[in-house]
Amino acid sequence: MGQTMAQKILARAAGKSAVDPGEYVTVSPDYTCGHEIFWLMNKRNMDKIGVDRFARPDKVLMVIDHTTQAALGSAYHEAHKSLRDFAKRTGFENFFGAGTGLRHLVLAERGFARPGLLIFSDEGNIATVGAFGALNVHLSWEVLATLVGDENWVLVPKTIKIDLDGKLGFGVLPRDLVQVVNRDFATTDVMAQGCVEYGGSAIAELSLDDRQTILAGAYHAGADTAIMAVDAKVLAYVEARAQGRPYRVVASDADAPYAHSARYDLGALAPKVTVPPEMASVVDVGEVAGLAVDQATIGSCAANRLDDLRAAARILKGRKVARHVTMYISPGSQEVIAGAAREGLLEIFADAGATVLGPGCNTCWGYLGTLNDGEVSISTHQHNYHGRNGSREAKVYLGGPYVVAASAVAGKIVDPRELLAERT
Amino acid sequence: MTTQVRGRVWKFGDNISGDNGIIEFGMVRDYTKPYDEKALAETCFKRIRLEFRSQVKEGDIVVAGRNFAHHNHPQVGVAIKACGIRAIVVESTDTSFVRKSLNVGLPVLIAPGITRLIADGEQLEVDFATGAVRNATSGTSLASKPYSARMIAIWQSGGLVEYLRQTVDAARVAAQ
Repeated sequence: MGQTMAQKILARAAGKSAVDPGEYVTVSPDYTCGHEIFWLMNKRNMDKIGVDRFARPDKVLMVIDHTTQAALGSAYHEAHKSLRDFAKRTGFENFFGAGTGLRHLVLAERGFARPGLLIFSDEGNIATVGAFGALNVHLSWEVLATLVGDENWVLVPKTIKIDLDGKLGFGVLPRDLVQVVNRDFATTDVMAQGCVEYGGSAIAELSLDDRQTILAGAYHAGADTAIMAVDAKVLAYVEARAQGRPYRVVASDADAPYAHSARYDLGALAPKVTVPPEMASVVDVGEVAGLAVDQATIGSCAANRLDDLRAAARILKGRKVARHVTMYISPGSQEVIAGAAREGLLEIFADAGATVLGPGCNTCWGYLGTLNDGEVSISTHQHNYHGRNGSREAKVYLGGPYVVAASAVAGKIVDPRELLAERT
Repeated sequence: MTTQVRGRVWKFGDNISGDNGIIEFGMVRDYTKPYDEKALAETCFKRIRLEFRSQVKEGDIVVAGRNFAHHNHPQVGVAIKACGIRAIVVESTDTSFVRKSLNVGLPVLIAPGITRLIADGEQLEVDFATGAVRNATSGTSLASKPYSARMIAIWQSGGLVEYLRQTVDAARVAAQ
């Protein structure tokens, strides 16, 4: 029996020729990636364990991304200082301070996410590295194990194959696909303890930004992680950033075992909205059109790359955000914000009356743009449950950048195709 | 040390959210200080079963259906353990929930068929080393995938931090 990409990556990291889905193996990861939220806790635990530096600092990245603006009323500014001091004292090089970007993007942009690599990280959304043929394992604060050592246990995931065909229609974005996949799988356990492997003829046409958006959503459909086949587009991107560091392209064998298969025609999709508080409550935008919004937000690891900002700008150019709506836009990294500046997108956002925040998780966990009782937001965030963005009595609707930007202009949820049509 | 747990079952349904069901998201934002176990225990399951907090006893077991504790921060396992629960047996969940809970010394077993095997309030026996799950009230049982030796060791150390401390100490001794 052949092996899937995920199996091949884990087999190599375990020093074995092959591994089976459902098997427990001990592996040494290529990188471990953490952030400042867990840092003070991990530092306290390192003190308890009796270690004062990383076992393999060359294989660790630490990124400040949840609290880029070290705000009054949060204690996380202490984590910024502690991490900076630790990096200085121990000569730890892969420390990326506030404003560099979300670790999902830092991993990609700085050449850490490379084909065939195994990456331990603190969250499931970092499955975005799968767009470059790397495998993410979601460990929460348990990244601690490979801060103080060089191995940990993993469960070899079963693989769920999702093939994408066709071409996205007018006004439809990959984010709409993510929401449909969540609708179809989030309340099943088809993806439980699995890796989603996306394939099919539509992938070649999708940008690397769009591919990362698709993978960022897999955790919310119930999967442990996700990955995609590597093509020339990926190799060109990785080669330009790898700085000579090694990688090895792996592909699933033709007879690899898939626990489940599904197929989506991108051409059949339409703009979607996820209704609070469940990820599986996904409706056509028309079903909630007209609902007044107080806040509209573009950001999160599922929609903070240049393609997402371009989509928002396509709607916002020459238009104004409704007077009663606050609009925040969080570019995902320094690289994205610089690209947005070069293309004039920041000017479009400022003219529209939107606030551009520094690169970070920002509004997606309610750290910024905190919602009050009774307020309604539409955002490209990753979660829609009670209290995620502030008050438990606020309502968080989710959509793609077109839906969010169009709703910001209208002051209520609207089908973005109406505003886009005026441009063509 | 035994790898078995026996206790009274609290049975829950499918698709119970971790951050927005078992606890509240507002309780998971702050990691600058140690967990507030008392506050987490007070909140635990109160939105799902009001009597849980007042009637749960040390040594009880949680049984649940599909996708248990989906969308979970580490405080979900901390909260359940702080109530006295000593094992969780579910139809399915994500691997990160198994890890997060194991890392604070609360073992989670995935045992498809468990919700048909046992009713609320019955006595359940679970052996994490063999994967055997038995309804001690009726005598019926089912087999599931056992824990690895390493997972057992993390559990029996009381959690990941103590396990790592012992591992690092042992490596130091071996190097001397």
